[in-house]
Amino acid sequence: MAPNLRLNAVAFISPQNHPILIRTFMKQDETAIKYHYIAHTSLDVIEERVLASSKSSECYLGLLYSMEDVAVYGYITPLKVKIVLAAALTDAVARDVDINMASIKTLHMAYYSAISNPFLVLHDSSGAIHDTSRPLLAGSPKWKHLRRRVDEIARIVGNPSDTSTAAG
Amino acid sequence: MASRNSLQVPSSSSVPPHLAALAAFADPPIRHVDGAMMDYFLIETVNILRESSKVALNREREREKEMVEAGLIPPPAPPVKDIKDPLASARDSTGSLTLTKAGKAAAAGPVDDEEEGLKLRLETIGIHVGSNFSERLCRDRGLFTETLDAIKFICKDIWAACWDKQVDNLRTNHRGVYVLQDNSFKTISRLSSWQGRPDAVRKAKVYVSMPAGIIKGALARLGYNATVSPEITNLPQCTFQVKLPKGS
Repeated sequence: MAPNLRLNAVAFISPQNHPILIRTFMKQDETAIKYHYIAHTSLDVIEERVLASSKSSECYLGLLYSMEDVAVYGYITPLKVKIVLAAALTDAVARDVDINMASIKTLHMAYYSAISNPFLVLHDSSGAIHDTSRPLLAGSPKWKHLRRRVDEIARIVGNPSDTSTAAG
Repeated sequence: MASRNSLQVPSSSSVPPHLAALAAFADPPIRHVDGAMMDYFLIETVNILRESSKVALNREREREKEMVEAGLIPPPAPPVKDIKDPLASARDSTGSLTLTKAGKAAAAGPVDDEEEGLKLRLETIGIHVGSNFSERLCRDRGLFTETLDAIKFICKDIWAACWDKQVDNLRTNHRGVYVLQDNSFKTISRLSSWQGRPDAVRKAKVYVSMPAGIIKGALARLGYNATVSPEITNLPQCTFQVKLPKGS
């Protein structure tokens, strides 16, 4: 029952295909840029999946593709926000659907609570409402709470023995 | 918003502990807002925003006057927006809202200016609320297959969550214009004026701008940049006309 899902990275992408947050959870930092690239390629795969299956209205897109050592799962919300999970490729990949769904729903909630902050876009609200350009890209300090929340979620997913500290 | 149906927290005895912990995050306990308190709050909001927009408008007029006296802009009425001090208007986002509106409606007279400012503020609040709320409501459903689907989502889910009922009538001309009619709209259902019906209708127009903003915000988040215009002919019936841009 212990999940073998080692979460490597999580990426949130806005409806206009701007990256909101790309967070990696691995020891080495120098390969972190790889996950930006993975997020980019996932965009294309998501596009074609969504266009191809115009009849199905499933949010969870499942395994998008797998590269050398990561399997990438995708999820698109009805509001076109994309959540991309990059997990380490183990043999237990096929069994991880449950925990994928749960962790993606959790990530979605974390994004929702971060986005409900009315102080997030304070000064540009006059013209930019329809623009929704929301110049809050990946590095911005305003996404601090989302970052913290995502870190916690990754900790829960990655360390199943640690659940005693996970409440709240 | 008045009480929503509580979401079912997935809890089965055989679920492994980490999944339960995740579930606690994924389905946080629903927070409810007292319905009556919400009504009072909205009433007070309108009054406060009226004062606030009056203050902001006066401030703009003072500035205009100073600029005219300094000779920066020509005396006759329509002030040019770009000459305004960019720092000052950026510091106060609500101030800049009335700035753009005041520029356009300068000829319309002071009372209408304030009304417009008030309506604009209410609509902006509504846009924020509607956008974020639709994020929450969209959580458990699939993608939208087409525009009509999105409009139906608005008519059912948002209406039910905000105003405890569903839209009574939805009409479309299949060319991007939808008319949502509600025969007893909750926000204005208890509104009355001692000056008689027509005055009540006029006052109600202000109160409906926030719901219009909620609809507009929700649609904007879904990707449709619509214009929403509320119309009240007789209380408590209210119609919202939603115009979607060409091509959607």
